[in-house]
Amino acid sequence: MATRGVPRPAFDEFRLSNGLRVVLAPMADSPTASVWVWYRVGSKNEHPGITGASHWVEHMLFQGSPRYGKGEIDRAIVGVGGELNAFTTTDFTAYFSTVPREHLAIPLDIESDRMTRALITDEEVERERTVIHSEREGNENWPEFRAEEEMFQLAFRIHPYRWEVLGHRVDIERLTPGELRDYYHRFYGTRNATLVLAGGFDRNETAREVRRRFSPLPASGADVRVQDTEPAPSGERRSELTGPGTTPYVLIGWRAPSLHDPLAPATMVLDAILGGETGLFSAGAGWGRAAEHPAARLYRALVDPGLAVRATSEWRPREYPGLFLIEAQAAKGVAASRLEEAIDGVVERLRRVGPTRTEMNDLRAKVGRGAALAYEGASRAGFRLGYFSVMGRPADEDSLYRSLLAVTAEEVRARARELLRPEARAVVHYVPTKGVGSDD
Amino acid sequence: MVNHLVATATRRSDRVALARRLDRAGATLSRQTSPESAEVTVWGPAEDGESLLALLAEVVLEPRFDAEDIARLRRQMLERQLRERTQPASRAEYELLRAIFPSGHPYRETGIGDRRSVPRLDRNRLAEFHRRHYTSRDAAVIVTGPATLGQVEHAVRRRFSSLPEGARLRLAVPPVPARPPRRVMVHLPGRSQVEVRVGGTSISRSSPEYPGAFLANEALGGRPMLSRLFQRIRERNGLAYHASSQLEALRFSGFWTARAGTGADRWRRVVPMLEAEVARVRTSGLPAAELRSVRESAIGEIPLSLESTADAHHLAVDVVYHELPGDFWAGWPARLRDLTPGDVRRASALAFDRTRSATVVVGPIRA
Repeated sequence: MATRGVPRPAFDEFRLSNGLRVVLAPMADSPTASVWVWYRVGSKNEHPGITGASHWVEHMLFQGSPRYGKGEIDRAIVGVGGELNAFTTTDFTAYFSTVPREHLAIPLDIESDRMTRALITDEEVERERTVIHSEREGNENWPEFRAEEEMFQLAFRIHPYRWEVLGHRVDIERLTPGELRDYYHRFYGTRNATLVLAGGFDRNETAREVRRRFSPLPASGADVRVQDTEPAPSGERRSELTGPGTTPYVLIGWRAPSLHDPLAPATMVLDAILGGETGLFSAGAGWGRAAEHPAARLYRALVDPGLAVRATSEWRPREYPGLFLIEAQAAKGVAASRLEEAIDGVVERLRRVGPTRTEMNDLRAKVGRGAALAYEGASRAGFRLGYFSVMGRPADEDSLYRSLLAVTAEEVRARARELLRPEARAVVHYVPTKGVGSDD
Repeated sequence: MVNHLVATATRRSDRVALARRLDRAGATLSRQTSPESAEVTVWGPAEDGESLLALLAEVVLEPRFDAEDIARLRRQMLERQLRERTQPASRAEYELLRAIFPSGHPYRETGIGDRRSVPRLDRNRLAEFHRRHYTSRDAAVIVTGPATLGQVEHAVRRRFSSLPEGARLRLAVPPVPARPPRRVMVHLPGRSQVEVRVGGTSISRSSPEYPGAFLANEALGGRPMLSRLFQRIRERNGLAYHASSQLEALRFSGFWTARAGTGADRWRRVVPMLEAEVARVRTSGLPAAELRSVRESAIGEIPLSLESTADAHHLAVDVVYHELPGDFWAGWPARLRDLTPGDVRRASALAFDRTRSATVVVGPIRA
């Protein structure tokens, strides 16, 4: 029997002559309209010396153009009750505004303007430098951020996934306004962007409006493939960090497939069996780290017996092969080595025996039924359609979803055997420093 | 602890079995506690509304209080307490509440107890707390989704009729004595960012000054990107990544907080800016043009608050918990439009009280 696809609004896709891809999803009953622009540029496009440039350019696109002075973009959207923001990842940068449906023209005007005409002045770059430092410092306060940054530097030697999206501190101090302008003009533009509209609007009228505003833009912006190929690790890599914290924290990472790999669905199931969530198809929670899940294997093996206070896994789908991660925070008095031993036991058992029939059935039910909530509201619809567009095509979501529901227990076991090899992993221990806010 | 355990396991299903039932339903169970209330919510596909209500009734009426679950939760809470003390952001919130509210005040606690209180909470005490407080006179069932009132009422009566009536318990919220503003400095070495909080006591949600105070807070720091704090601290001076404010108008009283996260070399400039912006709102309110702008923004936001079932649910909970009229949100734009600059100035002076306020700075602050 054929599996039904993801229940989502009908949408149209077309491309303008300047290369801009457009996705329109009218939702008749929606009181809002959500406008998203996704650029295929992220920290993967950087190199040492300009790490953090993608994220910094994202900040600069709120700082003005000849048409919108500094602060006017915020005022235009928030002034009518809308919300706006942006985020940068390793693979893409996305900007979104959600407004009451009658104000759809405002974000369309803003996005068509800043796609090619952001100013990025010297003065604004200098002022933003401390804001970005501050953003990084806020993250550095968390042991989990420091451990994850160390993990990617340990696991990748060549590929740009090696550095954090925020960039190295030295590069945040050094990057020049000219380099940021060059970066913007190279990667931003119609050829490297996807415009997604979801919400309460008329399809034909809005398509005309999109053409009127975006067709005059010059064909610009490059989608640059990353050529650096990361060699397979020749053995286990380890690192220990110390700093303020509560109890030891252990992070283990294995090289994992990209979103486009045929093995991606089985990797998602592996993530759900170990940590409790499938990331992209979790019930209502959206995209991100798995929540606490008492039926998941890591929870039962580490949290239940008192070794850890939390334990989970995460496979974050990426354009290029990334990492499959397991993390655990020790309970008071438990050493990092003991936690790692317990994780090894869980992994080894899954590699040997695979998931049970009950686990597979529960997961299929959860994914199948939970998907009904994924497209509630124009903002979520804009996010999901845009995410799958920028990572491939919107239709990829359906095929991924169907493949996910068709994964067998044996495929998961095979995936675990191949992926979670002890000799192919990287291990980071974060050990709290005594007397520096730790429980000494 | 009780609310966490309620949402963990029932007499019929231990924690693993309950998690699996939720998975099979494509549903999630969430919990939330405040100084005044506890909330358990089940989210799931609309066609399963009746069975989701049954599950919610089961967790509320028949919690398990397993010894293992209690022991595990104690371990988790002790780690969270440590985190609260060692993370600049959570430590700053903790210190602010302690600086504002006197010992014994219910708003003084962050809800995760301390090293002495958590080990003392055994099964008997937890079960007794549940018996006393999870009662129908002090509870409301709020259902948001595509169903008729008749359908919901029938299902709620069927599932929740055995909830004991209990006694309506009024939370004792003692007055906070006036005193000069306090300043608390906590040095946490090894951290990168300094967290600053300025806060004090405020008004309750039922106060007639609430609409004016709401708009004043939106202009101060509640409306991201448009607010005075964001514009001055981040946009004009580049001193912080986050700068915002919050008005917690609770059922019996309230408190306000202005916050920013900044560098060890910048916090000395940020603190007076936060304090000055709060003082400016407190003493002058909002000029007519700014009032108009923030008011239209707040009214325009209402459709965004109805984007999803989850969003609409928050509005419904607000109405029920604060005993507002059923048509409260329909009349909200008119109430905001009626406000004059004088109304907002009067409300601000009450809502951003200086005589019961404090400034807290936490992080790597020692030179």
